[in-house]
Amino acid sequence: MAGLAAAAPVAADSRGFRRKPGLAAWLVLAPLLAWLVLFIVVPTIMLVVVSFAERDALGRVVYQFSFDNYVRAFNWVWLKVLWDSIWYAFLTTVICMLVGYPVAFFIGRAPERWRGILLMLVMVPFWTSFLIRTYAWITILSKEGLVNSLLMSSGLISAPITLLYTPFAIVLGLVYNFLPFMILPIYTSVEKLDGAMIEAAYDLGARPMRAFAQVIIPLTSPGITAGALLVFIPSICMFAITTLMGGGANPTIGEVIFKQFTSGRNQPFGAALGTLLLVLFVVALWFTRNSREEE
Amino acid sequence: MKNHITLMAALAALALAGCGKPPAATSSSGPKVESKPAAAAEPKAPGSDKLNVFCWSEYIPQSVIDQFTKETGIKVSVENYASNEEMLAKLMAGGGSYDIIQPSEYVVGALVKEGLLHPLDPAKVPNLKNIAPQFLNLPFDPGNKFSVPFMAGTVGIVVNTDLVKDDIKGFTDVFQDKYKQNIVVLDDAREIVTWGFFTEGVPINQVTDENLAKVKPLVSKWLPLVKVYDSDSPKTALLNGDVAIGVVWGGEGAILLNEDKKFKWVLPSEGTHLFIDSLAIPKASQNVANAEAFMNFILRPDVSKQISDAFPYLNPNLAARELLTAEQRANKASFPPDEDIKKMQMFEDIGQQASKIDEMVTSLKVQ
Repeated sequence: MAGLAAAAPVAADSRGFRRKPGLAAWLVLAPLLAWLVLFIVVPTIMLVVVSFAERDALGRVVYQFSFDNYVRAFNWVWLKVLWDSIWYAFLTTVICMLVGYPVAFFIGRAPERWRGILLMLVMVPFWTSFLIRTYAWITILSKEGLVNSLLMSSGLISAPITLLYTPFAIVLGLVYNFLPFMILPIYTSVEKLDGAMIEAAYDLGARPMRAFAQVIIPLTSPGITAGALLVFIPSICMFAITTLMGGGANPTIGEVIFKQFTSGRNQPFGAALGTLLLVLFVVALWFTRNSREEE
Repeated sequence: MKNHITLMAALAALALAGCGKPPAATSSSGPKVESKPAAAAEPKAPGSDKLNVFCWSEYIPQSVIDQFTKETGIKVSVENYASNEEMLAKLMAGGGSYDIIQPSEYVVGALVKEGLLHPLDPAKVPNLKNIAPQFLNLPFDPGNKFSVPFMAGTVGIVVNTDLVKDDIKGFTDVFQDKYKQNIVVLDDAREIVTWGFFTEGVPINQVTDENLAKVKPLVSKWLPLVKVYDSDSPKTALLNGDVAIGVVWGGEGAILLNEDKKFKWVLPSEGTHLFIDSLAIPKASQNVANAEAFMNFILRPDVSKQISDAFPYLNPNLAARELLTAEQRANKASFPPDEDIKKMQMFEDIGQQASKIDEMVTSLKVQ
């Protein structure tokens, strides 16, 4: 996101914008540019360079040009892992949307003095480390955990059901962790929503469903899009939650890349997988941007 | 406006909490409080009072680190890793100036071969005499010129006898269809393949492409039966009743045996390997004298006993073993019988084959 913001003035300049930014403007921009170069541009270049290298027996990177890592990457094993990760991330995004939208709408339309408090309530659990919260889920979902013992003692089930270490647990963990990323951007859109527009829709004879579908959704779509991106992208790469709650039997692409950098002793291959993922994101973003411009 | 500030703060907090490292890779810094060098047991090195320890997570209790600082005045900062390879990667990248590392036997061998360890001065670590001879002078570091043993251990089977009535003797008894989705194993590709090697009678260090092909059908039958892969804390799934059988580290097994009588420890009949985690000083260390003082401190019987109390692995320190309770010494998962230990093989470094093993196991997981 920050990258687009920073690129804007430069682009305007190259298109022959009349005023060139003065020294003061560059000084103001300098920290941001330095941050971008140091933490986004340089690491990305390093990643790409390493992805074309080889490694020695101890896992040290040997800078010798090779295309092997990419050849190896197009193997059904890694594609299947990637596909699974995308599928989990997609489910997570959809569920976050279904759950997050009503919540964000409610908070955004609540009396102003309540909004701050309600937003705080969304955030409070996130003051604890996400690892601790994930371990809490393990205690809740395990066979001798809270859910199973409640269901057993109420007589609803006779034998404990398997909740933990399943794809269900993975998606639950992801939804739980990323829900606020969906709620907050939608909330900002809902907050700016002009009540007069909805009233106008009613005046013109729209029923609630239609007003929602044709007025409210389009007006809050910037929030929905931002939320979807903020949930989808980190969900694909997240590996701590998926490993802990999924039991590692359904590896995700983030976990696979992490293992290349550690136990696999193959940083170049991990870098190649990372680069492919990056390319995938850039292409996907480019497509969504283009289709939005066409509208 | 006010709302926007709350929102920004909230998003910032989330961004920090969002993406993360796996649990075991967290690092903790040592005691920041400066403690007086009281009645120093070890001479303080001139010029420097710092020591950077890079060790496994869940292996050196904080109380031991604190005691070292208290006795010597040397400030220790601790960083943790969850696998030998993670340590190697950081060591090779030159990140951090580590003074003490804790590699396993095959990594010590590789580091010695590459000349990446600092030679030890035997006069500085007299407590090495406490170590049982069977853990000294081993092929990965003949004469212990570069490393001293920290803890040893093995991999074995833990059975929850409440849930499993059959007599489990080895890997082939564990990986049966009737235990499908009821098994936890170490999330370690080399371990898993090694169990296959033992079962097929292949020498565990001959990780050739042919041998991998030979065990692949067996491993591909095993992995769909596994419910959980966990190297950091495989005991959790067993304790919570999520699985009935586990193939885990001896130390984890020992904790389970102490926890509940229903758990039984079995050394696989096909064979298992012995690992020895050592302490060593990287060549690039800036605080060699402090590192040697730390090694000698760790080898002290009273200190080594504290470590065994917290993490009940196979303690190679004979003087420390005498301080343990009879119950601790009788724990079969911590201390397998000597005749079994003699039969165990040790890992040697397999270099780039590690990557092949990883690919094979991942492909069998997602099959």
